[in-house]
Amino acid sequence: MKLPKIHTLLLLSAIFRVILIVYGEWQDAHMEVRYTDVDYLVFSDAAALVVSGESPYKRTTYRYSPLLAFLLTPNSFIHRSWGKFIFSAADLLVGLFIRYILKKREVPEDMCLYSVMVWLLNPFTFTIGTRGNCEPMVCAMILWIIICLMNGNVVQAAFWYGLVVHFRIYPIIYALPIVLVLDPNFVQSGQKPRLVNWKSSQDNASHSSKEASDVHSLWTTVKTIFSRGRIMFALVSGAVFILCTGLFFYLYGWEFLNEALLYHLTRTDPRHNFSIYFYHIYLHYEHEFSAVEKLISFLPQLIVQLVLIFRFAQDLPFCLFLQTVAFVAFNKVITAQYFVWFFCLLPLILPWSKMKLKWEGLSCMLLWMGAQTHWLLWAYLLEFKGKNVFLQLWLAGLVFLAANTFLLIMFIRQHRYSPVFKQLARATSENRDKSE
Amino acid sequence: MFTLLSGKSSEAERRERGVNKGDASRNLFESNFQNFIADELHFSSCKLLPDNLNHLLRVSVPQRHLSGEGSHRHILSTIKFHMQPDSMSQLCTHFCKVIIIERLPSGVFADPFELQQLLERGVFADVAVFGDTNLELPSVLSNRSAVEIHMNVGPTSLLRQKLEISVDLPLHARYPPLDDSGYSKVEFGEPDLFLSCSMEGNGDNESCLLMPTNDRTGSRAGDVVWRIPSGIRAHTAIVSAVTFLAASISTILIVVTSIFYSDSKSCNNLKES
Repeated sequence: MKLPKIHTLLLLSAIFRVILIVYGEWQDAHMEVRYTDVDYLVFSDAAALVVSGESPYKRTTYRYSPLLAFLLTPNSFIHRSWGKFIFSAADLLVGLFIRYILKKREVPEDMCLYSVMVWLLNPFTFTIGTRGNCEPMVCAMILWIIICLMNGNVVQAAFWYGLVVHFRIYPIIYALPIVLVLDPNFVQSGQKPRLVNWKSSQDNASHSSKEASDVHSLWTTVKTIFSRGRIMFALVSGAVFILCTGLFFYLYGWEFLNEALLYHLTRTDPRHNFSIYFYHIYLHYEHEFSAVEKLISFLPQLIVQLVLIFRFAQDLPFCLFLQTVAFVAFNKVITAQYFVWFFCLLPLILPWSKMKLKWEGLSCMLLWMGAQTHWLLWAYLLEFKGKNVFLQLWLAGLVFLAANTFLLIMFIRQHRYSPVFKQLARATSENRDKSE
Repeated sequence: MFTLLSGKSSEAERRERGVNKGDASRNLFESNFQNFIADELHFSSCKLLPDNLNHLLRVSVPQRHLSGEGSHRHILSTIKFHMQPDSMSQLCTHFCKVIIIERLPSGVFADPFELQQLLERGVFADVAVFGDTNLELPSVLSNRSAVEIHMNVGPTSLLRQKLEISVDLPLHARYPPLDDSGYSKVEFGEPDLFLSCSMEGNGDNESCLLMPTNDRTGSRAGDVVWRIPSGIRAHTAIVSAVTFLAASISTILIVVTSIFYSDSKSCNNLKES
């Protein structure tokens, strides 16, 4: 069977998304249950407030950067579906970026195509964009940052990074691996970094690259910690973040800071969600958590993030993927839209996985979906049938954590470690001189 | 047009502010609601009405129940107005509205944005939510709220001496305080009912508010009780312990896998092939 070319795939995906948006309009008008995400209505209301010169935070539960409301202002004067088209365009862009990154790493054509399909044909992702969820934009920005880094464009990567952290906060977990990957032995400003290609990671190259990562021992790491690229990245991204946050604080005051930033940082939700912590939080809601309790619940998250970063940072896409899965799994609040955060990174690691679709891949998929469905069943009984199943629902959350942990372990064990960058020639020879 | 709970604010004003008037009457339940209503009534009573009209107009709520299951339900009320046969002849009404004020018990709330949609669809003539409209907080951290609903009724239906309308108000449960029985009971009181009619007299049109007397003789709906699942305090220790145990085990497994990860398998595979 001849595989459809990437352009055909993108075109079909685009048409399909337009059909879904149009269908959504019809369902909203004719059926009791809306197709459009509730949050989209919130964004639209906030955008309408901006158009009339008011603060988007006058709309309760608007908890995003004002940039989103600005972007959706045409919802008020062009069409209410404007935002859905923007989000779906970002969704398609993610598909393009996945292909670009894989091509850059010299992944064979058919594998590229399969990986892009994992994103574009994922029912979860195409519904999320067309229902009006802004996450595809965040995904596109994250992938663009990876592309900038691969092209040695540190300043641009830093600009987008500052912006995306302002926009959605969670990408702050990527700061350390990005800084680590900007190792002066691999990335020098003004020099295009050399990329490790896919083929070499399939044979002995994985070993040489491993040696390379061993070469930069603790001492070298300390020495190179304040390289030009790293300082530049930190300064530019920090400046963009502070500039955006400062500007909107000036415009909208504490309302902005509380809703768009502090709310997300301190969010603990006693209502049921996929997190293992929800019932614990609910049972303790009548009294405040002590600082020690907060620290203890944050510790697993912190430890896992640090270990993954220090172990896998040089294989950047893989590290970001693991970090995101772990971050979501250990978070105090988990909603289904968070899954998109790692769905966009999954296609970037599949070509390096030894997992076969039959049966390892399929059983992983089924396990993850099964754990989710099991949770949803109890959640349905609680929310829509009024049964007291808090305990069962919390246990289902534990099962879901177990499934996520199992998947993480499977992905790690089946992965062919492949750093993104090769050591630069000059740096390699310098190191060799020193070792001699 | 006026709403009772917000005094005399015009509809335009309200549209501007949205349906949520959380700030305006946050302390509504701390004051005596009946006094508040009485004051409002005095304020807006109508010269055209004979004094005894309120007694000639009787109201009852023969049916009132919750429909649906789970956290999102509807409270359905059937409201019956009875007119004394001779009273209508004294009046020349143009148009009447039934005003229903539901004082929601602690633990349930109405979503102002959902009601706004119903308003746009013409289900209600007007609607507003007062009090705490934060949709996310559990009962412990939230205050009560009230919903005021206006529904249009034509003059003809009043002339028939009997008026019956049904009101369907969507409600949502908050997370209740912990309770060892596993369920928290939320009881609904009766709604406050009024008729607002525009009347003709002495060449002027005047809007008059009628406060019908409760019909004690008619059939009355039983108490409406919503049982909301609640967290069980006895679970606290075990849930906290197991939660942290699970998080720790999961952490250790990931950490161990990461630390002992080596890519040696790929070599073995290559050799095998």
